[in-house]
Amino acid sequence: MGFDVFLPESEDELMTLLMRENAKIMAGGTDLLVRIRAGRINPDKIISLSKIQGMNEITDVGDRIRVGCRVTHSMALNSNVLKEHSPIMLMALKEIGSPQIRNRGTIVGNVVNASPAGDSLIPLYLSNAKVVIHGPKGERKLPIEEFIKGPGKTALSMGEFVRAVEFEKSGSWHPLFYKVGQRTAMAIAIASLGLLIKGDNLRIAFGSVAPTVVRAYKAERYFKRSNGIITVMDEFMERCLEYVSPIDDIRASAWYRKEVIKNLLKSAFDFWRKKVL
Amino acid sequence: MIVEFTLNGEKVKYDVRPDKRVLDFFRDELGLTGPKEACGEGECGACTIIVDGLNVHSCLMLAAELDGKDVWTIEGLKGPGEKLHPIQEAFVEAGAIQCGFCTPGMVMSTKVLLDNNPSPTREEIKKALEGNLCRCTGYYKIIEAVELAAEKLKGDG
Repeated sequence: MGFDVFLPESEDELMTLLMRENAKIMAGGTDLLVRIRAGRINPDKIISLSKIQGMNEITDVGDRIRVGCRVTHSMALNSNVLKEHSPIMLMALKEIGSPQIRNRGTIVGNVVNASPAGDSLIPLYLSNAKVVIHGPKGERKLPIEEFIKGPGKTALSMGEFVRAVEFEKSGSWHPLFYKVGQRTAMAIAIASLGLLIKGDNLRIAFGSVAPTVVRAYKAERYFKRSNGIITVMDEFMERCLEYVSPIDDIRASAWYRKEVIKNLLKSAFDFWRKKVL
Repeated sequence: MIVEFTLNGEKVKYDVRPDKRVLDFFRDELGLTGPKEACGEGECGACTIIVDGLNVHSCLMLAAELDGKDVWTIEGLKGPGEKLHPIQEAFVEAGAIQCGFCTPGMVMSTKVLLDNNPSPTREEIKKALEGNLCRCTGYYKIIEAVELAAEKLKGDG
């Protein structure tokens, strides 16, 4: 490999280190070290967060929840705040990797990696998440849809890091999360679907079928206009598929991904008719 | 870079190359060959070790990050007297080992499971071992070994 490793113990130290060229922050390392070894990236400096005090808060902030940048998937799965107020987040986190990955990988790491297949991103998109960025000019917040610009691309500038994510509570919504991979454990999604329903309000998002996770806003508006009563499934599905632009890759073909999304939509609606109507 | 940590119950201090993976440091420099490398990217679980009570991949952790941690490899597991640890005994008795390559990782993940949940259900066992792949056994005997280990450990207590 060949890089220097820094272990800052405070935010000030971290900010100073971030001003150096070609430095990468590492939280759990579950994606970063794989990409370095595969030769896809070649940083000179790794800034590990493992000795930073704090930054692992999961806090109830009124109608939102704040998750700090050192919160691992396992910590989130054990959090009473998330259990009560974001069941959709727990559903997604349970699908991530394995115990070993969940013990090291972080939710904010998922956000910064900006993978269209990031399991925890679907609940964040559904919960109108804001990304809390700290940098030389202080703090700024961006909606997750503006923060993630494409596969692996974010709005982070030189010297900035993601301190936390804040997202809406959704305890009163009915959650649903489907993920299709090549097998149950460990698999990276071929396609995934998350939704939240409350009365005639619906939020729906897809993973792994576009350059980023996507919310199907037209379908959401159609659902609202129909007062939550969908009689013609095709009309709804058409509005969802406008957001679906998958690619062929090592895990599945574009055609297959589209078929999977159609089937997931059908399953979602069967489930919803039984449970909610 | 100097790292000080607890390794298999003993305080240790080493001068490490910080960008070395824990897996390589343990195997090549300390001769701890329990953690195995297969995939090198966090899929197979053969390199599983326990850090601060959690099972993690030693192939996805840097030696520099060991500082201040409580670390266990399978070399540190011991039973009463000179005997094997009850989890190791259970794997032997249940026939849960064929080629043995995945076994250290399986045993370490089992240790974390049983430390936190002394009477797991079959589903909980499967969930706890979902990050440890075995190409030989078909998993049934491994699951039986975990059940046997749970009984043995309860017997000890």
